[in-house]
Amino acid sequence: MIDPAIAETVLKIPDNYGADFAELYIERWRKRFIRNINREVKEATSNIELGAALRLFYGHEVVYAYTNDLSEEALTELAETLAKLKGDKGKVDAQGRGGLDFRKESHQNLHAPKLPFDSHDKKYRLERLYEIDTAARLSPDIKQVEAGYLEWEQDVLVANTEGIWAEDRRVRSRAVAQVIASNASDTQTGSSAPGLSMGLELFERFSPASIGKKAAEQALTNLSAKKAPAGPMPVVIGNAFGGVIFHEALGHLLETTSVAKKASVLSDLLGEKVASDTVTYIDDGTIKHGWGSSEFDDEGMKTESTTLIENGVLKSYMVDKLGAMKTGYRATGSGRRQNYTYAPTSRMRNTFIAPGTTPKEDLFKDISYGLYAKDMGGGQVKPGSGEYNFAVKEGYIIRNGEIQEAVRGAMLIGKGPESIKKITAVSDDLDVGPGMCGSLSGSIPVEVGQPHLLVSEIIVGGEA
Amino acid sequence: MKRLSMAAAHDFILKKAQADRVDAEILATEERKLTLESFELELSQITQATQGGLGIRVVSGGKTGYASTEEVTEEALDWVYTEAKENAELQSETGGFLPAGQNLGYKDLLSEGLSAPIEEKADAALELEKNLRSDKRMQQVAINRYAETETQVSLSSTQGAKGGYRNGYSALMASFIMREGDSLKQAFDFQLEKDFHVLEPGKTALDMIERVGRQLGASNLKTGRYTAYFEPKAFAQILGLVIYMLSAKSVMEGKSRLADKLGKQVASSLVNLIDDPDLKDGKANQPFDSEGTPTTRIALVENGILKSFFHNSHTAKHLGQANTGHAQRSYKATLGISNTNFFLEPGQGLKPQNGIIITDLMGVHAGANPISGDFSLQAFGLKVNAEATEPVENFVISGNLLDLLTKISGLGDTLEWNPFSGMIGSPMVEVQDLSFAGS
Repeated sequence: MIDPAIAETVLKIPDNYGADFAELYIERWRKRFIRNINREVKEATSNIELGAALRLFYGHEVVYAYTNDLSEEALTELAETLAKLKGDKGKVDAQGRGGLDFRKESHQNLHAPKLPFDSHDKKYRLERLYEIDTAARLSPDIKQVEAGYLEWEQDVLVANTEGIWAEDRRVRSRAVAQVIASNASDTQTGSSAPGLSMGLELFERFSPASIGKKAAEQALTNLSAKKAPAGPMPVVIGNAFGGVIFHEALGHLLETTSVAKKASVLSDLLGEKVASDTVTYIDDGTIKHGWGSSEFDDEGMKTESTTLIENGVLKSYMVDKLGAMKTGYRATGSGRRQNYTYAPTSRMRNTFIAPGTTPKEDLFKDISYGLYAKDMGGGQVKPGSGEYNFAVKEGYIIRNGEIQEAVRGAMLIGKGPESIKKITAVSDDLDVGPGMCGSLSGSIPVEVGQPHLLVSEIIVGGEA
Repeated sequence: MKRLSMAAAHDFILKKAQADRVDAEILATEERKLTLESFELELSQITQATQGGLGIRVVSGGKTGYASTEEVTEEALDWVYTEAKENAELQSETGGFLPAGQNLGYKDLLSEGLSAPIEEKADAALELEKNLRSDKRMQQVAINRYAETETQVSLSSTQGAKGGYRNGYSALMASFIMREGDSLKQAFDFQLEKDFHVLEPGKTALDMIERVGRQLGASNLKTGRYTAYFEPKAFAQILGLVIYMLSAKSVMEGKSRLADKLGKQVASSLVNLIDDPDLKDGKANQPFDSEGTPTTRIALVENGILKSFFHNSHTAKHLGQANTGHAQRSYKATLGISNTNFFLEPGQGLKPQNGIIITDLMGVHAGANPISGDFSLQAFGLKVNAEATEPVENFVISGNLLDLLTKISGLGDTLEWNPFSGMIGSPMVEVQDLSFAGS
């Protein structure tokens, strides 16, 4: 995307002005999105996003700038303005430093699409969206089917004064179905939105019919559901996107962005027991075609699989470059950002609770009254107090060990460090689901996951 | 290839469209940003940035397509134009059109509000942090920031629309944690002004500390039905969901339960909902909307009766109602609808007597469904009765938005603004007999 000689010229400017570190991040995206309602195209759009960001370190102080103009003149001017912002202090004679000698690493196509962007025309996508619509028409109560397809290709280059030169191409696709069901007295919704780091073969992994049917079934279940109960009770949380609860209650508390400032309730606890024995928690950026996978992170470091918690003991945080400098912890390839407009921070990739040994049926059998949170929506956490919430999209009452009537409108709340100690059993049916995670460095694709698991007590916010 | 100026990019697309006899509209934004962050009373991060791009909407044979680019070269503009036409071809409906345009002139809504040396702005950030840290219950100030944004918007179309405006704001923001014994509370809070010189870091810090400090030592709330007193900023979050229901786009797409309620009572007779794009000191003022329709003050709900939805040209024509000038799109996005300065008019005044004062809501994006209207939201608050006021936590309020609006039984007399989701203003709001799920 840029000539190494230009990158070198740009990076040498702050270097000469006494910056300890300089990094150039350049990216170009091509995105497409089609959204249908009841088989009609309501919106179709295509986007190019292009930008360059320059990040400098002076000790732990960060200076950051970005622009859409990638010409040599514009980038040079950006570097000079930024370097001068810090004044001339510590200026080093340009002659005293050698060339940057980039160690070039290109992506190895680990997550390359089988059917990229241009392998089919837009009509092909429309036909798949029609199939979602057809499959969702399960009952006269299904009043509306919305089907969308979002895809992007992102070319990324990270070059820095330590000689990193990393190029990555990230292709992601996501299909979205949202179904509205109504009867005389009520309106409810259901949705399904699978996404992976791949191209149009997404529809081979998840057939359009299965996406439509899942969303429609959920809408109909919610239409017949009663209001959720209120109060503390045992909760069995479903697998796959169920993992969002620990993304909120646990994952965010393990990012050095909070940990380095001691702004997380789980700061300074490496080697300590922070969860029950049944919990092993992993953040893996290397899963083939994972929604949150990439070959390099947004600081040019190779991604890896990081065991965060092993049998309840805290083993590692998620560490970006700045976090590593501040804490001394090893960087884990976790520096991520939405795009060039955000400086990277430590973020999750594909994060999941590892399979346990309890048969799924056994999770339910001793519960006299509780909630089965089969599918989850989003949530939020405050890392400094650990307070979190997340919404149940599809839920059922558990009575005397049996899954019974559907309930809707349940919100689960608690304090993360207390809830993870109450995970008393973990099943073996690990699955994952895609989400968009919003935090300091923007909104990024992440996978959350877990097997079915039992939490002995959570406050269920339903109707009192 | 060489980056073109935005003016040249407008002309490039317009000429192409005119030659093709295609209707086209170009919306471009150029933004300048500055943020200054401090940590432990040292400047920790400086960000200086410019960002700009343009989005086009084309209508050909009544079909509409969109595309956008931040790469402003002739090559990229060619791609964008071709993609937009191709995207339009996907539609089978042919009701699309671009509104008739006019010369809208250029308006500067910012003037000199952001002009001050960078050192003064850094001092404002440091002053905020110093004052936050002066409270002995302050455990950590995780984020402490001064931020300013200046935006230039320009619009043109083959239908004759041509205009622009400049706007901006400056803000102080902080995320911090307070502790008292074992009780920890964290907040993200900010003060937003158009003019840098109006910011008051010392006072803002005190306000922020007051809002969080009163939550320390909270005890669990017992499940039950109580009278709720929503503080203005908390109720503004609820009003954000009402905006979705008032959007004619939601109505057209079958996603609003207010769809067939025009002229009917949808809220307590105390409720007046107003949108004013030309408010004195309004932070979200704008002279025209994203498709060049001049904006004007409207009442959406008057004495509880639904008077109007928020419209753009497309929804207005489709539903046969008046265009209210609320078209909204960023250059990257397709045509939508949004509010400007939207508020619930204050009432007679309100003194919480016996119930729960709701000071903050969390996870509103996840816990409320604006289509069904159902909500279950984590809340924080103060339990109030004749004897005492004490903090409570670990509870969820739930119900349906439409019921909530009809159950409003009292309004405070002071309007406060919440800048989190557009600009939304509210007084304190009393709702009787609300469901609280706790311990």
